[in-house]
Amino acid sequence: MLSRRALIFLGERLVLIAFTAVAVSSIVFFGVHQLPGSAFLSDRRIDPAALAAIMHHYHLDLSLWDQYKLFVAGIVHGNLGESLVNRGIPITPLLLREASVSLEVGATALIFTIGLGMVLGVIAAIKQNTWVDYLATATSVIGYSMPNFVIASVLVLLFAVYLYNWSGGVLYYEVGWEGTYGTPGQILLPAFALGFPYASIVARLTRASMLEVLRQDYVRTAKAKGLSDRIVIIRHALRNALIPVVTILGPLTIGIITGSVVIENIFGIPGLGKEFVQSILSRDYNIVIGVFTFYALAIGLANLLVDLLYTVIDPRIRY
Amino acid sequence: MDRGVGAFRALRSLAVVGAIGILVAACGGGSTANQGTQLAADQTLRFPLNDDIGSFDPAFINAAVDAAFAQNLYDGLLKFDDNLNIVPDIAKEVPTTSNGGISSDGLTYTFKLRNDVKFSNGDKVTAKDVIYSWNRAAKAQGDYASDLDHVVGYKDVKGKKATTMSGLTSSDDYTLKVQLTEAAGFFLTEVAFNTAVTGVVSEKAVTAGGEDTWWTKPETLIGTGPYKMSARTPKQSLDFVPVDNWWGSPKPVLKKIHVDIIADLSSAIAKYDQNGFDNVGFGDMNGNIPPEDVLRIKAGPKSSELKFIQKTRTTWVGFNYEKGPFAGTAGKDLRKAFSLAIDRTKLVDVACSHGVTCSAATGGLISKGLRGYLGDNADPLAKFDAATAKQLLQSADPNKTKIKGLVYQYNPGAFNKAIAENLQSQWQDNLGVKVDLAATERQTFFQRRTKKEYTIFRHSWQADYDHPQDWFDNLFITDAGNGGTGYSNPQLDALVKGADAKKTEDALADYKKASQLMIDDAAYAPLVYGVGVFLTKPYVKGPQPNAFNDPYWNELSILQH
Repeated sequence: MLSRRALIFLGERLVLIAFTAVAVSSIVFFGVHQLPGSAFLSDRRIDPAALAAIMHHYHLDLSLWDQYKLFVAGIVHGNLGESLVNRGIPITPLLLREASVSLEVGATALIFTIGLGMVLGVIAAIKQNTWVDYLATATSVIGYSMPNFVIASVLVLLFAVYLYNWSGGVLYYEVGWEGTYGTPGQILLPAFALGFPYASIVARLTRASMLEVLRQDYVRTAKAKGLSDRIVIIRHALRNALIPVVTILGPLTIGIITGSVVIENIFGIPGLGKEFVQSILSRDYNIVIGVFTFYALAIGLANLLVDLLYTVIDPRIRY
Repeated sequence: MDRGVGAFRALRSLAVVGAIGILVAACGGGSTANQGTQLAADQTLRFPLNDDIGSFDPAFINAAVDAAFAQNLYDGLLKFDDNLNIVPDIAKEVPTTSNGGISSDGLTYTFKLRNDVKFSNGDKVTAKDVIYSWNRAAKAQGDYASDLDHVVGYKDVKGKKATTMSGLTSSDDYTLKVQLTEAAGFFLTEVAFNTAVTGVVSEKAVTAGGEDTWWTKPETLIGTGPYKMSARTPKQSLDFVPVDNWWGSPKPVLKKIHVDIIADLSSAIAKYDQNGFDNVGFGDMNGNIPPEDVLRIKAGPKSSELKFIQKTRTTWVGFNYEKGPFAGTAGKDLRKAFSLAIDRTKLVDVACSHGVTCSAATGGLISKGLRGYLGDNADPLAKFDAATAKQLLQSADPNKTKIKGLVYQYNPGAFNKAIAENLQSQWQDNLGVKVDLAATERQTFFQRRTKKEYTIFRHSWQADYDHPQDWFDNLFITDAGNGGTGYSNPQLDALVKGADAKKTEDALADYKKASQLMIDDAAYAPLVYGVGVFLTKPYVKGPQPNAFNDPYWNELSILQH
């Protein structure tokens, strides 16, 4: 049960997140209206009457201030408007669906990031200065220094092309999702590509933190009591070593959210990241504003979750 | 059990399961080498789009991708066959003067409608439905509404003085009379261009589904075509199934059309390689396939699955005919010099990935394969002749003072940039003229080009339909709306006006003469024609796409494979 103080904290943060989302969407709203270009212009035919009709349909013939008032009224009711390019598509349900797809991949990537990062970090720390340590560190460095789009492209090449050809089409990674949500097998590769660079960061941090913790007196005491190495490491050392790792969970989550922009396009995932690129390229400014709003909300909520996680890891922290 | 140790074991198990999971993510596929002539049990055609469709409302359709679907969902009075001939659709026959369908003055067209045409909801189609659809499109003022601008009363509807065109009348349920303001030989072509404006829609469905949204939902997207939309997840997938007991022929064989929206076409091609798609290129994707993928496939064992077709787009260099060094008769030698100084073989190699994405434009501005095309190598402006080009430059501007500070303007894009940079290099090498390049954002570029503010610039046109009128009236006659050059030749105007009023077959010679006048004036420097690329599995049976359209889905089938 949450205390009154915690509830107030939570309420304040949620209000702040909502305010941030509105502020971000307003900045993007005014920003995109200053950009040259239009979703409606092509070099095929420019009929002023046709252009005027479509501008009227989208209220683009109103003053910017009147458009903004309509936009804010819409956003308050959860209505982000209609796509400029794909006529008749309401944006809010579209982005909600796409955000849920991104969440599926992002959450898997996050679990993977923390899991692999911790395992690599712990192994490297307890086997310090052995070949295991060097291998784990080298793996981390590779992950850290390779951009996720390179990892993604290499994975597609290996598992979708080479493996398909090698196995005669029996065993392969299937590119492009059938339906809204991917199968576990389809999610693994994009999650790996998305999370591997961050797993490397987690591994380096965990290793450094573990090395420090392992030298603490209470760990020596635990060992002196005759506890096995495994129990000392997992129950006594790892929990404390996790605190610095948790501190980077915020930026790490943001990195995964923004990293999905590239990964979703490479793997053909129908998520928010793919929409981000498509809407900008097609100048679908209504969707661009909507995507930014969703990202602002996602990042705000991710940060809030990380802050709440502190209280779980470190009992000294209270809100 | 110790919780931490348990977690450790779980992680290890997860890692193993994960590794296996990746490998068994999907199984399937198989060889395509043994396809026969029997139909496959699964008659599903699968292909990708790189973005969702814009609209399925014929009143608003303005993109080739939308038209590629609409041609299977709607019909018009007439349509194009696979060879781009105009053939009857809802009409019983193509009106002619000899069958009484066109009056002797060319102002009245009478269409006799088939009486067995039905919407996908079972309602019969009558002349009233055609009149409703055309009036609705004129009122909506979508991008192609002007296809109806020769119909009496169109201007009143456009100007909101009326809601119906007085030139459309029906004496009975199956006779439609269309009155034109002036003779227009291209009118039947515009009627056959039925994926936009002239496609017939159901008033009942539009009213039930909402004027703006009826076409977005399978239950209210009602057309007369052989297929209907069965499911749509915006920006993700589209599905279509045949209409039961469809009235036309051939009867649909494909039982399902499944379209996945995959932004990156390289990923889509990887899926095609895995037999996840049967085609890449349908739905107007044939101009978007990355050249590197085309070159890779061309060099591999699946090269026979590649098909190249001439597209309907021509790109050329436009010159300002009103002011600056290229203006008027005085600027003719300079215009010609700049055109002859371009080696189009090199241009195509560099900018079109060795001819994968485009080919040299050597037969006039009307694209290869279209009516009005002059023939391969028929355009002397497309010849590379550096020596003559230098002589012409020397006589027109011996000190190169007139052309000092020239800037070639284009709108951004990888293709446009490659063309611009190659032109810059060739003009420097072959003419000794330094031309600067300026990429201007798309909207500003079009606005300034329309206002004739540029001296030398990129120009291009993608034909809406296969008729020279589409090119001349939009681009080359005096004050043409999309000209951008200020080019004016009264002789050409008179020729085109006369040709526009004639039947297409009778008018072609005049249009070609008009093209010749432009060549004589050295009004442009031709560059390239677009090329479309299709990847199709060998077991997909049916006609090939043409310069404008994919094959109709009801002509396709899947063979055993």
